[in-house]
Amino acid sequence: MEETETETMTEIQAVPTTQVVTPRVRGPIEMQLKNVAVSFHGRTAVRDCTFDVEKNRVTSLIGPSGSGKTTLLRALNRLHDLTPGAKVSGQIILEGTDIYRGNLTVTELRTRVGMVFQRPNPFPTMSIYDNAVSGLRFNGIKKKSLLDEAAESSLRSAALWDSVSSRLKVAASNLSGGEQQRLCIARALALEPEVLLMDEPTSALDPVATLRIEELMTSLKSRVTVVIVTHNMQQAARISDDCAFLLMGEDRAGELIEFDTTEKIFNNPVDSRTLDYTLGRFG
Amino acid sequence: MTDLIELEEPTEPSTSSREEIRRISDNARARRVVTSRIMVALCGVALLIAAVPLVALLYQLIDKGAGQLNLDFFTKLPQTPTLIAPNATGGISNAIVGTIALTLYASILAIPVGVLVGVYLAETNSKFATTLRVIAQTMAGAPSILMGLFAFSFIVHDLNVGFTAIAGSFALAVLMLPVIIISTEIAVRNVPNSLREAGLALGAKPHMVSTKVVLPSAVTGIVTGVILAISRAVGETAPVLLVIGGGFTNSWQPFNPVSAMPLAIFENAKSEWPSQRAQVWGIALVLVAFVFVLSLTARIWASRKQQVRN
Repeated sequence: MEETETETMTEIQAVPTTQVVTPRVRGPIEMQLKNVAVSFHGRTAVRDCTFDVEKNRVTSLIGPSGSGKTTLLRALNRLHDLTPGAKVSGQIILEGTDIYRGNLTVTELRTRVGMVFQRPNPFPTMSIYDNAVSGLRFNGIKKKSLLDEAAESSLRSAALWDSVSSRLKVAASNLSGGEQQRLCIARALALEPEVLLMDEPTSALDPVATLRIEELMTSLKSRVTVVIVTHNMQQAARISDDCAFLLMGEDRAGELIEFDTTEKIFNNPVDSRTLDYTLGRFG
Repeated sequence: MTDLIELEEPTEPSTSSREEIRRISDNARARRVVTSRIMVALCGVALLIAAVPLVALLYQLIDKGAGQLNLDFFTKLPQTPTLIAPNATGGISNAIVGTIALTLYASILAIPVGVLVGVYLAETNSKFATTLRVIAQTMAGAPSILMGLFAFSFIVHDLNVGFTAIAGSFALAVLMLPVIIISTEIAVRNVPNSLREAGLALGAKPHMVSTKVVLPSAVTGIVTGVILAISRAVGETAPVLLVIGGGFTNSWQPFNPVSAMPLAIFENAKSEWPSQRAQVWGIALVLVAFVFVLSLTARIWASRKQQVRN
């Protein structure tokens, strides 16, 4: 992990690595969170989340159960909209537009901010091909050539093309769990989103399938900004560039404790609770 | 948050309490074996009691009905026996045609409405939806003669349509509606929420999620419910009794009087001719076979569909 980190830093700063720690120059911002809080029926689930998600980096949200990681993630593409009693306050700004108050429709937002869920959830009644292009079809794209192209390129990006290209018409439920999850990633990528939200995408998978998804995330960075919720600290350390640490407060509401580069969070955090957590002393 | 989890030292189990636990559980186990045997025996007896009337009914149906079946039975119109030809009962083609026509029109009326209402109930939580649900549940338990009365007063009388197939279909449709609504709602509710979220997260509008994701996933349950509703409607006597007019021709016309198998059974059973009374068993056998084939098809279809998915 340290190696990857150094590499990224070298790239951005374009100076030879020295032992002197210089603050990293921040890249362009994809999403800005300002005092984001989510409550259900007046009960706060997570609050005080202020941090910037940088373009083309992997940002991980870590913290013990109940710290509001998933709740926060789901606010980023307005998945709480249909939950009765859910309220999101503060500002979430995607490329200059407030996603809750700006003139961005919720469907448009969701095509720009894709999501991969904890359990693989391909549409069981659709074939592999139909799953891959389902997002495009939902958004009114019918042209066969365009769909074919998108299916192939998204399945290739999800490292699935080689194993499924000969059986695209087969029901998606015939795939293994790991393949199903990669299909869900392909399905999200087909819409060419700017941000990909991933909610513990490997928690239902075996270690080999997990590794493949992790490799995938790293390779996807160049084309999409990734925000990932993970329970697995090694995973956060391995794959993420930035890291937000959340913890449940006294009143059982989650709050942001610390946000920084993953290297800083794991090696030299400001808050002692962050250190305790990353060292596995609790949680 | 530095309060680390501390485990207490496990205490040594005392030998005496361990022995006591073993002794008591051994005794309890012996008692449970006896109880279990008695319960299994009781279950067997209950099964026999339940099976006897069913088997007896089927036996009588086949025993008395099978002899009635021949080509004329299915293709000829009914005749009234005379003193010269006391066994000339003719066939029941009009009743078969009538039953199929009635069921067909009833399905056309009830299925689209029922499925749409079911989806609506499953996907919304408004007060209106709750009210609708209560109405559907109440209707499901309403006596079927009520549907006949309703169709009689509303279609036959108020709308002045007369004794017609469509009036009977209307009554049957009202009878089928709650069954379709309730089974559709259950099928749609059983679609995992994760699929809805997947659709929404891909920028689909809620109505698209309903039609492209939820409905296809729920189709097995919906079709099973629809076929159960149809099999129920096929055999209903009361709703059609008052309104279809008992036509004596093979009529597919919705605005003509028609006959139906349950009605033919009802009429023939009152006949003074023994030959006509005997014919009742043949009609009943055909009706039961009809319903049996329908529900068997539904079951096979549903399990196939389920297998493909898994």
